[in-house]
Amino acid sequence: MTIGTELARAVGDANVAPIAGEPAAWQVAPAAPAEIAEVVRLAQRHKIAVVPLGTGIRPSADRGPRVQIAMRRMDHVIHLDETSLLVHVQAGLTGMGLEKILVPRGLSIGDYPPAVLVSTLGGILAVRTPGKSSVRHGFFEDAVVGVSAVLGDGRTVHTRVAPRRSTGPDLARALCGSEGTIGVITGAVLRIHRKPEARFAIASILPSIDAAVSAVYLALREEAALAGVRIYDAAEARIHFANATPPLPAMSEGEALVVASTAGPTDLAACDRDLVASAVAAEGGRTADTRLAELWWRRIHAGEPTPVAGPTLQVTATPGKVRAVYRAVCTATAGSGGARAHVSRFDADGAVVFFTLAGGEAARATAETAAREAGGYLLGARATALDPYLIGLRAALDPHGIMNPNALRD
Amino acid sequence: MSSREISSETVRRELEAIVGPRRVSVRDADLDTYARDMWPRLLLAHREGAPAGHRPHAVVWPESAREVASIVKVARGLRLPIVPYGGGSGVCGGAVPILGGITIDTKRMTALRGVSADELIVDVDGGLNGERFERELARRGYTFGNFPSSIYCSTVGGWLATRAAGQLSTKYGKVEDRVAGLTVVTGRGEVIETDGPSRALRGPNWTQLVLGSEGTLGVITSARLRVSPAPQMQIYRGFEVENVAAGVEAIRRVLQRGLRPAVVRLYDELDTMMNSMGGHHPDHDLQADAHAPVPTPGEGALPILPHPAPPPEDGVVGRLLALARGGRAIHRELLGAALDRANVVNRVFGAVAEKVARRGCRMIIGLEGARLRTEVEAALCFQELAAAGAHDQGEEPGRAWIAHRYAVSYRMSPMFRDGAFVDTMEVASSWERLMDLYHSVRTAIGQHAVVMAHFSHAYPDGCSIYFSFAGRGKDRAEAERVYDAIWRDGLDATTRVGGTISHHHGVGLLKAGHMEGEHREAMAILAGLKASLDPDNIMNPGKLGIGGGPVGRAR
Ligand SMILES: Cc1cc2nc3c(=O)[nH]c(=O)nc-3n(C[C@H](O)[C@H](O)[C@H](O)COP(=O)(O)OP(=O)(O)OC[C@H]3O[C@@H](n4cnc5c(N)ncnc54)[C@H](O)[C@@H]3O)c2cc1C
Ligand SMILES: Cc1cc2nc3c(=O)[nH]c(=O)nc-3n(C[C@H](O)[C@H](O)[C@H](O)COP(=O)(O)OP(=O)(O)OC[C@H]3O[C@@H](n4cnc5c(N)ncnc54)[C@H](O)[C@@H]3O)c2cc1C
Repeated sequence: MTIGTELARAVGDANVAPIAGEPAAWQVAPAAPAEIAEVVRLAQRHKIAVVPLGTGIRPSADRGPRVQIAMRRMDHVIHLDETSLLVHVQAGLTGMGLEKILVPRGLSIGDYPPAVLVSTLGGILAVRTPGKSSVRHGFFEDAVVGVSAVLGDGRTVHTRVAPRRSTGPDLARALCGSEGTIGVITGAVLRIHRKPEARFAIASILPSIDAAVSAVYLALREEAALAGVRIYDAAEARIHFANATPPLPAMSEGEALVVASTAGPTDLAACDRDLVASAVAAEGGRTADTRLAELWWRRIHAGEPTPVAGPTLQVTATPGKVRAVYRAVCTATAGSGGARAHVSRFDADGAVVFFTLAGGEAARATAETAAREAGGYLLGARATALDPYLIGLRAALDPHGIMNPNALRD
Repeated sequence: MSSREISSETVRRELEAIVGPRRVSVRDADLDTYARDMWPRLLLAHREGAPAGHRPHAVVWPESAREVASIVKVARGLRLPIVPYGGGSGVCGGAVPILGGITIDTKRMTALRGVSADELIVDVDGGLNGERFERELARRGYTFGNFPSSIYCSTVGGWLATRAAGQLSTKYGKVEDRVAGLTVVTGRGEVIETDGPSRALRGPNWTQLVLGSEGTLGVITSARLRVSPAPQMQIYRGFEVENVAAGVEAIRRVLQRGLRPAVVRLYDELDTMMNSMGGHHPDHDLQADAHAPVPTPGEGALPILPHPAPPPEDGVVGRLLALARGGRAIHRELLGAALDRANVVNRVFGAVAEKVARRGCRMIIGLEGARLRTEVEAALCFQELAAAGAHDQGEEPGRAWIAHRYAVSYRMSPMFRDGAFVDTMEVASSWERLMDLYHSVRTAIGQHAVVMAHFSHAYPDGCSIYFSFAGRGKDRAEAERVYDAIWRDGLDATTRVGGTISHHHGVGLLKAGHMEGEHREAMAILAGLKASLDPDNIMNPGKLGIGGGPVGRAR
């Protein structure tokens, strides 16, 4: 029997197709973990790679003999537990797909950037990148209460659902971020949220980026629970709010625009907004038209287009390093026209600085070096010091070395 | 070579080469001390003066991660187990050296390298005592927010190794929610750091893969922990609800509205009654009870350690024990019940409790934090509780709880006479399953012992239940049989309902046999971590239900 026939037997004729132009590559679209387990065992026998595929936004670089597991048919909500605000979903469902099911019930996956939610939930969890956090709910992984997966040895696992537990390490975390090297994530139990009772927005102008960063952290220290917050430097603000209604007030060089949003029970969300206002005042800021903040929120969460191309460089910095990273990149690129930036995705780990370099790609290397030297982490960075342990874990759970073999080896 | 053949002397010589002569011991008194932790089952034997079942070959007190790494390398060479030992306050036998080996006492690693104000992160050694840690932070205007009842006798490393929970976890989280990075000496004898903004770095989150490993993967020598500014105000209050179900529903509503009190506790009927027994007004309690550590202004959140320990028959635990024993401190009505038949007791007692505590179940709620926001949040919490049918009892019950919250006994063994024992079982589940969990576990334990429960550590998606039980056997052997049956049936019931067998005490030896039921096939992942971090199987053998120990076995 050929591999193609065996695959067809495992997932059904209609759900297997050879990948064009490659002699030994197939795509299968299984409908259940048991089918995936069958495919994995088959791949073991034939010594070909297993490569999970979500929406394919950033597919694995693995080439060569392989079977690609397209998750698209595993897109069901298995159990919506409105009592516990938990949802058990299959990994092939996209974040948006889930949101469509939740919203009519007054529920939501939460204030994550919709740009993240276009991916499959399996893909979102499989790859750890800085965009996937919300100042309100934390990193996307924090929403995970349990995962189901088929491991590289063909075993199907389900981690147990509990709000917290002390029964060893959090085993779901071995799969989250593992980029398909440990196993195929087939489902997850996620925390969800009720639609907030009220939302408020606030916009202000601060005398400097430093003051703006300080104001944000001051508000967070006063325990303001923000739904979102962003800092723009003057150049970035002028471009993002060119021709906006209302118009951006005149900002001098060095000033910064801070927009923030709060959500929750009305009194608390209003209190949180007021905490931002007093933090801004404490740092010498002045208030701007609230509608600027509302416009920013609509652009991110309500599909209103942003009239600007995406940033060219993303750098994560811990709270104490944000200012230094911003300064370092601006200084280093001064000779090539400089850089403008906004700072967003604040959480306990820090924030992300999104730079647009006037010098374009030519300025990138200089900017990256400056960012790293100032203590920042570039998008897609990896802590390679722990690789021997990752290799050990992979060897134990994927003894045949077939799961996304080239992933996480860069 | 089997470790049976390795003499303590050999081990001592090897260890002295690393730490010098003064920080190693093979003295009998030390080996006996490090033979156990606070697992109540061991206290039954200890109480009888039985010799320690499992002693280490040697105890060593390293002062740095480098020394720990050298010790682990020695152990690898000798194929001897390593058992990390913090405060020894664990209640599951996690620090018991079942195959002997080297016990590493971490308590000489106590540096606190300052708080980075920008990052709100503190870099602290694993051996630092919990009380000293919080006091040191309070002095600088911060709190880590982990206040386990054992804070006076446990270490930061022990907390991280067991994923401990403090009384204020509903606001501050369990310890695993507050960790930015760990320094760990793995079973390979290497020092690793798991730091870095976790969401920015690709690959699995190693911090979360080491937290809770109970010494089976490595020794946590230091950690970067998230701290909060010290609270500016505290608001505590008592409420009464009609019954457990109503109380659970009220707590769920508060949490799911997005409110985060520091603590919410709901006592079931029996627990409510045991708490209000003793016949005096809570106010009187405060003054009369010399053991109650009452915080005084300027001390931060922590009162001075209560001493001496409460006398055996005092306090809620004492009352529970007396009940199991058929003792004197209990109402006559209850004595009428067949006291050696716990299921009958629980039934009868349940009825009596309902009668006595006609007003229902007691609930304590507390908020703390920044001044402005805490007040707004408190108002919303009280409003939500009232809307759920809870009756405000004012500040008094809240204050009484704060005053007594560390009044736990550190001298349990005197209480364990006449074959009587007490212990606690802390399980958790989603809200959907919580009442099922409560009834199933209560019934399971109730077959064998007197049992009461409170609900604490609430989350938007679920809650933990803390069962306290007291039982007895006519002799030690019978007591141990009853004890084992309670745990077997209680944990089986938990797994059946779909809860977790431990919310915060950990697994140790006590729950090792239930790990398969808890994780099923996912145990493969734990085994994979073990294979990677501790390839020779030397780290804390027998715990967490993995790793039978190094090839050579001891005594
Ligand atoms: C350097 C870098 C930075 C990025 N930064 C961001 C960012 O800031 N914000 C953002 O939103 N996105 C970012 N992405 C894209 C990010 O990868 C996607 O958000 C998402 O992970 C892709 O989801 P997908 O469904 O399209 O998966 P795919 O693109 O199809 O797959 C992504 C990877 O995950 C594996 N995978 C997919 N599904 C599963 C599964 N069910 N089980 C196991 N493995 C699986 C694949 O094999 C592949 O290796 C970044 C990607 C890279 C490489
Ligand atoms: C009266 C009393 C009240 C308690 N109240 C609470 C409570 O409110 N909340 C709660 O969570 N727990 C509570 N406990 C349980 C216990 O205090 C906790 O489990 C605590 O975290 C243990 O810390 P320790 O330093 O005493 O650890 P130990 O008992 O010394 O060790 C516990 C486990 O962790 C391992 N270990 C210890 N240190 C390290 C390290 N540095 N690196 C790696 N592994 C290590 C040990 O090998 C062992 O397996 C209570 C116990 C008692 C006796």
